[in-house]
Amino acid sequence: MTDLIPIIAYTLIAFSVGSNDTSNALSICIGAEIIKFKKAVFLFGCFVLMGVILQGQKVMHTVGKSLLPINLAILNIALLISAFLIILSNWKKLPLSTHQVIIGSLTGAGIAFEVDINLSSLFKIVLSWIISPLGAFLFSLTLYRIMEKTLSKLPLFQIERLLRILLVISGFLIAYNTGANELATVLGGVIHSGLMERLQASLLGSFFLFLGAILLSHRVIETVGKEIVALDPYSGFAAQFGAGICVLLFTFLGMPVSTTYCIIGGISGVGMLKGMGTVKVGLIKKIVLSWILTPCLAFMTCFILAKILK
Amino acid sequence: MFKKSFLGGKNEERVIEKIKKHIKILCTACETFKNALEKQDIKKMLTVSDLEREGDIVRREVLSNIYEGAFLPFIRPNICKFVEIVDNALDELKNAAQAYDMGLKLDKDIKTDCIGITHLNLNMCEMLSITFEALCEGKDLREKILVIRIYEKKVDEIKLDLVKKLMGREIKTFWEGKVLSDFISYLSNISDIIEDASDYLQILNISIR
Repeated sequence: MTDLIPIIAYTLIAFSVGSNDTSNALSICIGAEIIKFKKAVFLFGCFVLMGVILQGQKVMHTVGKSLLPINLAILNIALLISAFLIILSNWKKLPLSTHQVIIGSLTGAGIAFEVDINLSSLFKIVLSWIISPLGAFLFSLTLYRIMEKTLSKLPLFQIERLLRILLVISGFLIAYNTGANELATVLGGVIHSGLMERLQASLLGSFFLFLGAILLSHRVIETVGKEIVALDPYSGFAAQFGAGICVLLFTFLGMPVSTTYCIIGGISGVGMLKGMGTVKVGLIKKIVLSWILTPCLAFMTCFILAKILK
Repeated sequence: MFKKSFLGGKNEERVIEKIKKHIKILCTACETFKNALEKQDIKKMLTVSDLEREGDIVRREVLSNIYEGAFLPFIRPNICKFVEIVDNALDELKNAAQAYDMGLKLDKDIKTDCIGITHLNLNMCEMLSITFEALCEGKDLREKILVIRIYEKKVDEIKLDLVKKLMGREIKTFWEGKVLSDFISYLSNISDIIEDASDYLQILNISIR
């Protein structure tokens, strides 16, 4: 029975990631009517599966093995609380990062159960959370500058056509990252605690992520997509692709980083080029606050619950 | 399949070709109007209405192609607006042709000025067509738009002259005066509309960069 709790919890998290974070990858493409929703979600599912199978191993290793030795008790509490917090945040529309919730929960439960936390690994993860949005900021800013010097020189209708191709590539890069980094973070503990085989867990996780995407992502995608594309697909691409490259680099390093935060970094980078007035400083402050509070909240909740149940 | 799924392209090409056709119809209508006015050929003047109807059909096709998904949503409103403006120029030309058809009698000096305006209108249409081609080829539009502005200024000067001449002219009936005034307004408005269209081409050009 206790084996079932983390499996249910991780499938719920995967479902939740599918319903919410699909918009990171597909909103621009669907909003720009480059690709239809069903086809886009189907391809999204394929790229997620490809990502988790081809490149998810490093992030899984960092979360499930390097950070702390995970046992079933830690996994039960950490994933249960993570699932609860993620679903609650989606319901209440609070911006919580899946990565931060999971890392915070695992660390909290681990300390409560007095296992050795690898502080160096924890430090690297936290450092990557700080560097990744800044990296996306720089990547997007540079990409936008390059686009201004190359793409902008082309005739209008060629730019338009090229932008369609680039937006599709960028969307599926984010989809790939969703599998290789985000889903891998969710699966890390499940696989390295020995609860499930890697392939088995990856397939089940991808399936639930796909299910979340096909059943619940439509409204988020439409809202975000229509807004971004109505604004400016050119900047949207620079922000999305810059973020995608940044997450991919961190995936190579095995660091679990948030695509959403990277996209925010990317948008801020492009916004900066258009003048500081376009960057909503108040909103950035709220995001930074959420960035600090999310892992702390997950950590404290898991720590207290684990202490009580121990 | 990849091209069909992601790149599209055919719909966009169709729209571009139709916009070119739309501008060509405007050029033909302007030329027809100029020739008809020079030769005082009422029959020829009435063919302007046929050209306007043809332009309407092309406009509807362009808009329906765009609603079918041609181009990114971001630039669609500007393309639609450009097509609407070109269509407004055709409407104004048709109105001028219909006003002429109402038994309008023009003095020699007024007629000369009106022909001068039609000549400039035609030049502006041709320049608009060249500007659109330049937009498609990624060439600089500024000089071409500047030429359109200079033509428009010339039309404004002729219009001012015309109004001064008309003020000294004796008008026998209300309707004679109204039709004449309307005719000159329609004729001189075309240049303003074409100038607006050229401005929209520039907006379109910088919108996605």
